[in-house]
Amino acid sequence: MPNEYYVLIVGYIFGFYMAWNIGANDVANAMASSVGAKAITIRQAIFLAGILNILGAVFIGSHVTDTIRKGIVSTEVLTDPHLALIGALSALLAAALWVSFATWKSLPVSTTHAIVGAMIGFGIMAGGFSVINWGKFAAVVISWVISPVFSIVISFFMFKIIVKLILSKEDSFVHALKLSPAFIGATFFVVVLSFLFKTPLGKKLALGPYASLLAAFILAVSFGFVGMKALGWFIKKREGGAEAIFRRIQVGTACYVALAQGANDVANAIGPLAVIYFLVKTGSVGAKVPVPVFLLLFGGIGIACGIGMAGHRVMETMGKKITALSNTRGFCVEFAAATTVLVASKMGLPVSTTHAAVGGVLGVGLARGIEAVNFGIIYKIMLYWVLTVPVAALTSMVIFKILQFFL
Amino acid sequence: MRVPFFEMFMTSPFEGLQEHAEKVKECAWSFQQAMECYFAAKCKTFEEFRQEVIQIESEADTIKRRIRGHIPKETMMPISNFLLFRYLREQDDVLDAMEDTLDWISYRSTTKIPPELEKDFTLLVDAVIDPIEQLTTLVAEAREYFGNYSENQRVIVKDIIHSLHKQENVADKFEDVIKKKVFNMEDDAVTIFHLVRLAETIGFIADHAQNAGDMMRAMISR
Repeated sequence: MPNEYYVLIVGYIFGFYMAWNIGANDVANAMASSVGAKAITIRQAIFLAGILNILGAVFIGSHVTDTIRKGIVSTEVLTDPHLALIGALSALLAAALWVSFATWKSLPVSTTHAIVGAMIGFGIMAGGFSVINWGKFAAVVISWVISPVFSIVISFFMFKIIVKLILSKEDSFVHALKLSPAFIGATFFVVVLSFLFKTPLGKKLALGPYASLLAAFILAVSFGFVGMKALGWFIKKREGGAEAIFRRIQVGTACYVALAQGANDVANAIGPLAVIYFLVKTGSVGAKVPVPVFLLLFGGIGIACGIGMAGHRVMETMGKKITALSNTRGFCVEFAAATTVLVASKMGLPVSTTHAAVGGVLGVGLARGIEAVNFGIIYKIMLYWVLTVPVAALTSMVIFKILQFFL
Repeated sequence: MRVPFFEMFMTSPFEGLQEHAEKVKECAWSFQQAMECYFAAKCKTFEEFRQEVIQIESEADTIKRRIRGHIPKETMMPISNFLLFRYLREQDDVLDAMEDTLDWISYRSTTKIPPELEKDFTLLVDAVIDPIEQLTTLVAEAREYFGNYSENQRVIVKDIIHSLHKQENVADKFEDVIKKKVFNMEDDAVTIFHLVRLAETIGFIADHAQNAGDMMRAMISR
């Protein structure tokens, strides 16, 4: 039916809009620490973030997405394809609108929460409150609390380790160089594992968990030592001390964060779009939907565009505000955030990259690593987190009704 | 566009502390000029230097208020608010003591330093200038300590604090010498009072510098 192709096009537009918002909102989480610590320039940050988000989206992003995010809403609402189509559209639009509005009003909001809220709204409209799988919802909500805590813990201990083993030593440069393989390796370890566990290529290799861990470990160690050699060549002057070493490493972790973000966030935009795509192409959709690579690419590009276009506005703020993070601190923040995001998305939990990044900073702050950091943001984030889900749900319900009227 | 990630970051109060310490140093120079002028009876520029000091003190007060006014309750720092403010207070008192000295001198133009006390007063002033110079270094080194938590760095800071103690002792001794001599002078009571308080007020400069050092010691304690 020609009607449905129009719907698909609208779906593409909404999906791109959502991806754009994700990029605009989240670019800071990935790159701010590095830009503030002067590891990379703003231009480089935007360029890297864009490319890596696409790569993360396409290669690590979930190739199979649960039709309704993490089974929060029972799949019986999908039995009527017409309803499902409207639902997916309204969810996408509602989430994108809420995120745009929040950005405009300078409210801290998580794109993940928005899409989950919107999905719940759709579920309620389609099948009443009974279709909401409250158990799963509770699990997701808990993950939103656990992920910042996880991030705090990682960055806290990472910083304490760096202080103990490197910074507090007499010749911190030498110690930093000697231990650099450990830090570089740790980053590679998690990235390689993500590749092996999540991507189709990785799954084809079908290494069992132990073999994968071993392979990742070996690769991590090798890259770690290669990295150390490279650092030794490139850094002739020792005045920068340990910070100079970590400046180079930090570029790597910034890339790591952008990659993780692409992998995690693309599903927020593309999940519903994939549903729409399959409904239009095949007339029905099951509990799981295979997401074609081109859709992931589409989402990645959308995110990259958001980063590129909104990057301007974020530019000034980044430069002015984040002078508090030196390279060692920035490394801890980014490593913690990216690890949290990758681990959570491996576990199938939708995690907020904002929360992970904020947790990273708080961890370092708690470890007395930052001269002054304002904890107050936690309360703000909690408040808007509590607000986002119901508001997105309500918006979704309203749009659903409107679309139902027209379609 | 406010991004939640950025809202966590704020201007470090240490930045302000360093700025304030620079003002104290700046003021010390003018103060020294003023005092030398006062000791050399023929000098006319005392009032000029005094006004400079008043100006600098006012600028420093602005910095102080800025620091105090911009630390929200939920701020997390490597040290507590309380310690920071106490340190700032003492550092500011150094400046205030310099201003007070010059003000005190200006209240009575007829008091002249007797020649036998000139040397002692000069020594006293020199003795209190030394600690002031150390304050900027102290703040810078302390900041570096909070950057790397290195034990060596901590020792550097403690050494500066230790030398502040010694310098204060030296200044105290000069102050005692002056007071003893003045009380045994044959002069009118007002002049004696004026000179004794003058020595005391100059002495306060070193006292507050020492106190600042003690507050810093609390700040770097583990």
